[in-house]
Amino acid sequence: MKIATIIAGAVIFLLLAIPLAVQVITAFRGPFLPFGVSTAKWSVENFVTLWSLRDDFWAVLGSTAAFVGGSTVLSLLMAFGLAWVTVRTDAPLRRVISVLVVVPFIIPPIVKAQAYLLMLSPESGVLNQLLRLLPGDLVIDPYSFVTMTVIQALTNVTFPYLMIVPILTSMDGSLEESARVSGASWAKTLRRVTLPMLWPGLLGVAVLTFILGLGSLEVPLLFGQESGKSIFALKLWNLISAGAGELPQYGLAAAWGCVFLVITTIAFVIYLRATRNAERRASISGKGFRPTVMKLGAWKIPVMLAILVFVMLTAVLPLFALFWSAITPYPIAFSFEALVTQTQFGSFGAVLADPEFWASLGRTLVIAGGSATIACVAATVLAYGIARARRTGWTKAVDLFASSSVAIPAVIAGFAMFLTFMVINPVIPLAGTIVALIIAYSYRVSIAYRAGYSATLQIRMELEEAALVSGASPFEGFRRIVAPLLMPTVFAVWIQMFVLGTNEFTLPAFLATPESRPLSVYMYAMISPRSAQLYQPDQGAAMALIFTLLVFAIGYGLQWVVSLFAIGRAKRRNPIPGVGTADVVPPADPVAPDTRAVAAQDLEERRQLARR
Amino acid sequence: MVVEAPARGIRTHPLDPKYRNRHPKVEHRMTHESGGGRLVVDGLEKHYELDGAEVPVVKGVTFTIEPGTFTSLLGPSGCGKTTTLRCVAGLENSNGGEISLDGNVLSTGTRHISPDKRDIGMVFQNYAIWPHMTVFANAVFPLQVAAGKLPKKEARKRAMEALELVQLDSYAHRPATALSGGQQQRLALARALAHRPKLLLLDEPLSNLDAKLRDTMRNELRSLQQRLGITALYVTHDQSEALSMSDRVAVMNQGRIVQEAAPRDLYYQPADRFVADFVGRVNMIPAVVRGRDGDGDALVEAFGARLVTPCPDTFGTGADVTVTFRPESVRWHEVAPDRPNLLPARVVRVEFLGEIVEYEAEILSGQTAVGTIVGRGAPLNSPSLGDPIFIELTPQACRVLAA
Ligand SMILES: Nc1ncnc2c1ncn2[C@@H]1O[C@H](COP(=O)(O)OP(=O)(O)OP(=O)(O)O)[C@@H](O)[C@H]1O
Ligand SMILES: [Mg+2]
Repeated sequence: MKIATIIAGAVIFLLLAIPLAVQVITAFRGPFLPFGVSTAKWSVENFVTLWSLRDDFWAVLGSTAAFVGGSTVLSLLMAFGLAWVTVRTDAPLRRVISVLVVVPFIIPPIVKAQAYLLMLSPESGVLNQLLRLLPGDLVIDPYSFVTMTVIQALTNVTFPYLMIVPILTSMDGSLEESARVSGASWAKTLRRVTLPMLWPGLLGVAVLTFILGLGSLEVPLLFGQESGKSIFALKLWNLISAGAGELPQYGLAAAWGCVFLVITTIAFVIYLRATRNAERRASISGKGFRPTVMKLGAWKIPVMLAILVFVMLTAVLPLFALFWSAITPYPIAFSFEALVTQTQFGSFGAVLADPEFWASLGRTLVIAGGSATIACVAATVLAYGIARARRTGWTKAVDLFASSSVAIPAVIAGFAMFLTFMVINPVIPLAGTIVALIIAYSYRVSIAYRAGYSATLQIRMELEEAALVSGASPFEGFRRIVAPLLMPTVFAVWIQMFVLGTNEFTLPAFLATPESRPLSVYMYAMISPRSAQLYQPDQGAAMALIFTLLVFAIGYGLQWVVSLFAIGRAKRRNPIPGVGTADVVPPADPVAPDTRAVAAQDLEERRQLARR
Repeated sequence: MVVEAPARGIRTHPLDPKYRNRHPKVEHRMTHESGGGRLVVDGLEKHYELDGAEVPVVKGVTFTIEPGTFTSLLGPSGCGKTTTLRCVAGLENSNGGEISLDGNVLSTGTRHISPDKRDIGMVFQNYAIWPHMTVFANAVFPLQVAAGKLPKKEARKRAMEALELVQLDSYAHRPATALSGGQQQRLALARALAHRPKLLLLDEPLSNLDAKLRDTMRNELRSLQQRLGITALYVTHDQSEALSMSDRVAVMNQGRIVQEAAPRDLYYQPADRFVADFVGRVNMIPAVVRGRDGDGDALVEAFGARLVTPCPDTFGTGADVTVTFRPESVRWHEVAPDRPNLLPARVVRVEFLGEIVEYEAEILSGQTAVGTIVGRGAPLNSPSLGDPIFIELTPQACRVLAA
């Protein structure tokens, strides 16, 4: 067991430490690659250059702060409002809403960004068309800074939503009730009890949303390029994609990366403190309680309207815009006349007939599946070892390190991985291959690590000890007791990482070549006017729709299969409870069902009892 | 007589000529073939490291459990009972002393046999039932793993026997989580017994049950242990459990065993004030030895009065002592009979507890109260509040301990 833990730890260490180290070294070694080129030597030149261009530096810093900060605040507000409505109010159709709100999560961000671009087109965009129906001369400029910020917020809002819902759900309602009983109004209770209680958790969510926003390239790439606003992600991207005849400025880019790593490290420290406080304040009471539900009353209509607008903006209109774009040969405004005369559905067929579509789809699945598997296996083994080890300075350090990938923005991870594969290419030629992409995608290992860690803590020590005194070796104990109990969590995390992987755009944008690019990058090539030969917006839109549908089907399909599998197993080994006899001995099934299935079974039994 | 218990190898039963599967006669065979081992714990030491400092938790614990007997470790919370038990199980590595089972050394301060090779069964406080398995899978587990692997068919039979012992055989196919607390408790017991260990360890197994169920399980557990003739080490902080179930009780305090005795001896002849106080309720009366009477009993001065009490010779005249007296031995009278050890008193508290009444009386010296005595008696025969009475502390029921 120990050896496995050490191996898993080493894998994660290499995965995270080497790219960052290479990036830092590049920042200090010359303008191009740090090794194997004649120009490489130790110097602080890149930082000097950075400083000499400080006007540019401050501009980027300022606009990035405004862009990422603004979008983070905006998406947090939206996410909190939505989560509150779905969890803590008596709004009608809460279940439907909570499903609709998650739909944008499965639309790949690059697809969403493209859809917004289509929606906002001044002439043909459906949103601007709708606005023209209203009085006043309102037209949204897609390339304004504010638009870009709002779109970034809308693109990322599902992430904080998914994190806030459990925080609100697990809040002990009795604390609020006691405030109410003491005579505080709803508003006062919210301000004096609820928010202070939720604050550490929300702060943690805010930091993660911030880092996510800082790291994603999609919106800046599609909107910022035209608006001339230099956002950090875009800046990094432009620095390394040099024009013809120039050498890309890896050193300078690495220096930029270092500066921003410092910023996210600070954010990470805040996050750690916040979550530690959250644990200390642990508002989870563990007893089966329901958080109290707020009566909306007269507010019902405005709230529902707001949610309607939100769902329109994040799901309905983007999908519609994509669809419209897919069935029209060139950008035209929606009208019934156009619907009758101009539409053609050839683009869907063209996509399905395109061998490159299938090839890149296959690569997407391989990369997402491979990286999710690597990350889950290594992270789970390490998390188990660390959670069960005595807490020393050493295990604390490993714990911190394994959790740290959340602090690395995707652009930096992509860039650092890119540099790393370039550097090791003479020895291990992986640059631009699918293997490189699998390794790069695995950098999100901390998600799996944190989940595995807390799942291990949930498994009481006695369960393993009982196996030991029953005569099981430690390995048998792990295989037969711990592993099956961890499985539900590992599966859930795997699915999550797999979906993230299929949606990933930022990492392959840095790493992929036409031979290894996943679907997201291929699609971007189709919709980006700058990739001249491939530019085919209607096929791109059709592909985006197909892509979204696939991600949806795969994500939910996997979840469905896993739950079916688990329940099926529980059923199979449980013929009519209570009437088994001594001579009907069940087959000793080496693999056991997961606990949720057992619980479900239990519930069903109780329901049947209640019916009788 | 020391029963010669078969080695753990009994489970490789094809080599065991005596083995026959007579399924309904479970108890009989279990009794003969499991057999209890003899556990010797000698000078056990254990310390934990906290912030770099060593905190001793078990300080030289020594006791022996004869084969087939039931011993309880009794003590207040945090005294090191669980730690001792876990050292015996091998879940903690002791830092000193020796543990042996049937002459096989399990643990010295430096060398430790791992838990899976120790041939023990253990019932955990919160049962530690594996939630992802059925009842049967839980019970058969010890017969499937390396240390006790049996042919499939045989493993099934024995697991079912164990379930039958605890009357869970008809629940075999259920998910283990679909059992009530008491049933889970019994399943934990079946699992601990399935591989017929030489030693059964139980860590407060009844503490999570409600009072009624606890009484039932107490009886079941004890009779099962006797039928199987298995050696049992039972950890509890509940003195009534320890007294009612055990052949021997070892009282622990702050990492040491302060007294080991049969339940009755423990109750009536506590070794010191701690034991007297911890096991049952007791009146403690500070006193001074004033002399000896003709029968060898001591005359002590307490509450300004003279009491006659049996007293070890070690306490000479003038020694400060404590006279202990159990509440249920206190007798009271409205009119003083002509007997020794009568103290005038006034009733200050009467409490109805159902089957008994507890009362508290202030001992009077003239008109001033000099101390209180708690007595217990049948409800029909209890003093009323404020009554002047005489408390009688029968000499035979007094016990003198060091102050
Ligand atoms: N892992 C540990 N690290 C440090 N100290 C410990 C550890 N486990 C137990 N202790 C300490 O050792 C002492 C004895 O613990 P133990 O669990 O043996 O008590 P116990 O007699 O079983 O008490 P209880 O009746 O409450 O279960 C306690 O003071 C406890 O704080
Ligand atoms: Mg204990």
